[in-house]
This record gives sequence, structure tokens and C-alpha cells, in this order.
Amino acid sequence: MTHPDQTTLALYAGQDLGWFTRVRTRRHLAGCGECRDAVLAFASARDNLVALCELPALSWSRMAIEMKANIRLGLAAGECVRRERSAGRLDLFGIFSGARTLAACGSVMALLTAGLFLERPTPPALPAMAADGAVLRATANGIELNQGGQTWSLLHVRSSDVTYSAGAQGSMRAGYVDSDTGNITINNLYVQ
Amino acid sequence: MAGVTALCAQGTPTNNPVKINLPPDSPLTLISTDLGDSHVTQRGSAVVLDLDVGLTLHNASPNRVRGVTLLVSAQEVTPGGKASVSVPSLDVAPNQNFPVRINLRLLRPAQMGGGPLVQVNLDGVLFQDYSFYGPNRLESRRTMTAWEMQAQRDRKYFKTILAAHGLDGLKQAMLESLNRQAERPRLDVQVSRGRTVTSAAGAEHAAQFAFLRFPGEPVEPVDGWAEIAGNEARNPRIDVHNLSSRQVRSVEIDWMVTDRQGKQYMAGSVPASGPEFNLKAGSTSRVLQDTALHLSRLANDGGAPLAIAGMTGFVGQVEFADGKVWIPNRESLANAQLLGILEPSPEEQRLMDLYRKKGPKALADELNKF
Repeated sequence: MTHPDQTTLALYAGQDLGWFTRVRTRRHLAGCGECRDAVLAFASARDNLVALCELPALSWSRMAIEMKANIRLGLAAGECVRRERSAGRLDLFGIFSGARTLAACGSVMALLTAGLFLERPTPPALPAMAADGAVLRATANGIELNQGGQTWSLLHVRSSDVTYSAGAQGSMRAGYVDSDTGNITINNLYVQ
Repeated sequence: MAGVTALCAQGTPTNNPVKINLPPDSPLTLISTDLGDSHVTQRGSAVVLDLDVGLTLHNASPNRVRGVTLLVSAQEVTPGGKASVSVPSLDVAPNQNFPVRINLRLLRPAQMGGGPLVQVNLDGVLFQDYSFYGPNRLESRRTMTAWEMQAQRDRKYFKTILAAHGLDGLKQAMLESLNRQAERPRLDVQVSRGRTVTSAAGAEHAAQFAFLRFPGEPVEPVDGWAEIAGNEARNPRIDVHNLSSRQVRSVEIDWMVTDRQGKQYMAGSVPASGPEFNLKAGSTSRVLQDTALHLSRLANDGGAPLAIAGMTGFVGQVEFADGKVWIPNRESLANAQLLGILEPSPEEQRLMDLYRKKGPKALADELNKF
């Protein structure tokens, strides 16, 4: 007589077998006391397992308070340990201590600063173009007002030694000695 | 002249490219107008007019003329712009003639309306006794009075050296001035009005002015700042306090910038005047301008945009309500180590040119004139 294996009997006890296997196993159990006992044992064990999985009534609020308290306690304990470690000799975690981290960051900063200084980055050159397009500038031989594509220049063709000055009210000045007259001449352009 | 005539033949602008307007009661009269090498060049649909105008003016007043400012306008070319040509440091006796040259270039469309291309009007005449004639539309009175005071200051300085140390001392002082000007740090400055149009403005921040103070200055700067973005400094605002017992009509703050290497440069000046600027005795007011300065190193110094690391200001001129002007004395400028940063006064520039071309004897003769 061929007996069903233990897995089939356990699944039968839990009513988890398919229809055809369940019918065939039931027919076998009707004539086999040994397998019937095994099925009863599985059923009993299953009932005990369900009973074991049932949790007693818990006070969740109380548990939450206790958990928070434990977390705070853990954090406080951690702070005590950290102070003790930083005050004491270097240990395994000392390589990440404040002093060494600070020194490392300082070195990186010094390297970056030196790099920036050596490179001497220049600021972006902003186009000298106002909303109305009026710009005053000094050129090789004069001062120039450029507005709306039209240009107006005052020239100093009789001198190469020229002083320029800008006025924040919107003016540009060029001063030179006219070599023909010997007079100092000051040209001014204004933009309004 | 031929070019101008040729342009007129095309019917483009006018038969009178330049019009000189002197008021009937002007202390100066026009003797002659010479268009010299004036010419016109066609560039596509535009024309370039190079006007070389030589004026001979006559001093019809009983006073010696110390300075003249002419207002030059080309309204069709630059509707918002105007120009002036000033000749300070003059010493023109009554009934003497003197020359004024105006060199200007206009780039404009070939087809424009008629009328004179350029109009020249008298804006002001300054006399030896600091009296003034003219409409003063360009603040010529203050400007020319300050130049004349600087001229008196610098002439006195060189005359003192001449008296104490003779020609050798004068020569030494001139060489120092020439060296100072040769070594003066300079920048390429561009000026634009209003807010700039840019997509790469970079980080913008407000930078504060540091101020230099001079003994005896009637107005002191108390606080100030400007907006910095890249190599652009704009919208300077400076609070000034009137320490004097007189009403102040205008103030000019000189503006220096410092680069990252600590080198100082003159960037420009921040003037304030007009009815909105009211600085009574003991009061505080604000000097402000809606302008942007774009600062770069000179082309022969690489032409790179200047990184502005700091700003310094000091009072360069104060004009009182009665027309009198205060300027810093030479000792104050020397003590503040500004002589090597500031551009020379027009008179010092003229004296240096005279020394360079004609030597110390000619310079001494010039100083002994007045």
C-alpha cells in the first residue's frame, strides 16, 4: 500500500490541497489508520500554532511613550560617549575627530584659495549698453557718444598726451594741450 | 571744406555745416571761422563728417578772460547728447584775440533733414576776478571756477619752488610731476545711463565706499554705496553732511576703485547739483546718479575687465550758493597720496607740456607772468 507523503498529509490537514488530490487522499485515509493519525497530529499542531500567533492585548500608547523615552535615552548616552571620546586619547573613531576634520577642510580650502589666486579669475565683462543704447567711451583719438547707431566724437588730433575722466552724471572728459594754440583744451560729451 | 561743399552739393544736410551763436551782449565776439581740414566720407548709407573748426574770438570786455566754455550740439545726430569744448587757463587781456579749436566727427545717415549740422553756443566766460557771464547750462561756472582755483593752487606751488630753489628746483619738481603722470594707473572707463541690458550680470552686490577726509573740508561724506556686478559699478549713492555755515549748491565726490591686488585707480566723479540737491548749513543730503561705469584695464595692459575689490571717495569740489568754490589744497592731496592717482589739473598739464617743449626757462617766464 502506498501512503501519501507527509507534505500531502499536512496540506490535507490544512485543507490546502487541490480537489483531485484531496479526494484521492480522503479515500486513502478511510482505509489507513496510520495516515489518519498523522493528519490529526498536523491538524492539532496547526491549531496550536494559530493560538501561539494570537498577541495579547497591548497598550499601544504606553508602548509609544516607552519607545520615545528609550530613543531619548539612547541619544543622551551617545552624547556622553562622544564627549568622552573627544576628550580622551585617539581611538579607532579618532580619525574622524573634529580637529582632524577641521584640518582636512582647512587644507582643501587653502588649496582652492591658492588655485583661485593663481588663476586670478576676472569678472565677466558686461556689455556697456544701456537700455536706451547710449554709451560714452574713450577711443584712440577722442571721446565718443554712441546712441542708436549714430556716433558723435570729439577728437584731440593735435595731441597724444590726453587725460580722461568720467562723470557719473553721464559725461566723459578729455583734456589735452592743443599743439597749434598751446592752450589746454577740454572736450566734454554728455548723455542725458 | 571741399568735402563739406561736396556734401552740400548732394543736397544732404545744409549750406552751413556749423553755426556759431553768440548773444548780442556777449563779452566775446566772433572774428573768424575756419573749417580747415573738414571733410566728408561716405560709408554705405551713412556719412562721416570730420569737422575741424577754428574759431578766433575777441575779448570785448574790460576784464581778463580766464576761461571759455562753448556748448556744441548736433541735435539730429544724438537727440539726448550734447558736447562742450572748454579752454581754461587762459590769460586774455581786453581787446585781445584768442583761438578756440573744435574737432568733431559725426557718423550719421546720409539722408537727414536740413539745417546746420552743428550749432555752437556760448555757455560761459570766466574772468580774472571770478566773475562769470553766460547761461551756464553745463555748470560751466562751477567747473571753470574750480579749474581756475586749481590753476592758482598749482602755479603757487611751482612759483614757491622756483623762488626757493631756482630753475634746478623747478626742473626737479617738473620731472617729479611728469614721472607721476607717466606712472599714474589708468583704466578704460565707459559710461552708460540707466540700467544695463545684460544676461550675464553675474553676482551683484552693494559695495560700501570708504572715505578720505581732508582738513578744513566744508562738506564731509558720511555714508555711501554702489552696486557692483562684474566689472560694472552703478548707481552710486553718497550721503554728505554740510559742516559749514553756508548753503552748498553743488558737491562733487571723486570716486576711486581698488583692484584685487590693492592698486587704486580713478574711476570718475559723482557730482550733485540742481534744485533737487539742497544742502543747507548743518544738513545732510544725498548725492546719487543713475549711471553705470564699466571698468577695464587699458588695451596695452591686457584689456581685461577690472575686478572691483573696493571703492574710496573724497570731496573734490564744493560750490557754495554765492558761487564760491572749495577744492582740496595740494598738501592734503599729497598727504593722502592722491597726487599719483588723480589726473593733473588742466594748468599743471599745460605747464608740464610747456616744460617738455620749451624747457625750464620758458616755464619760469610763464610762472612769472601772473
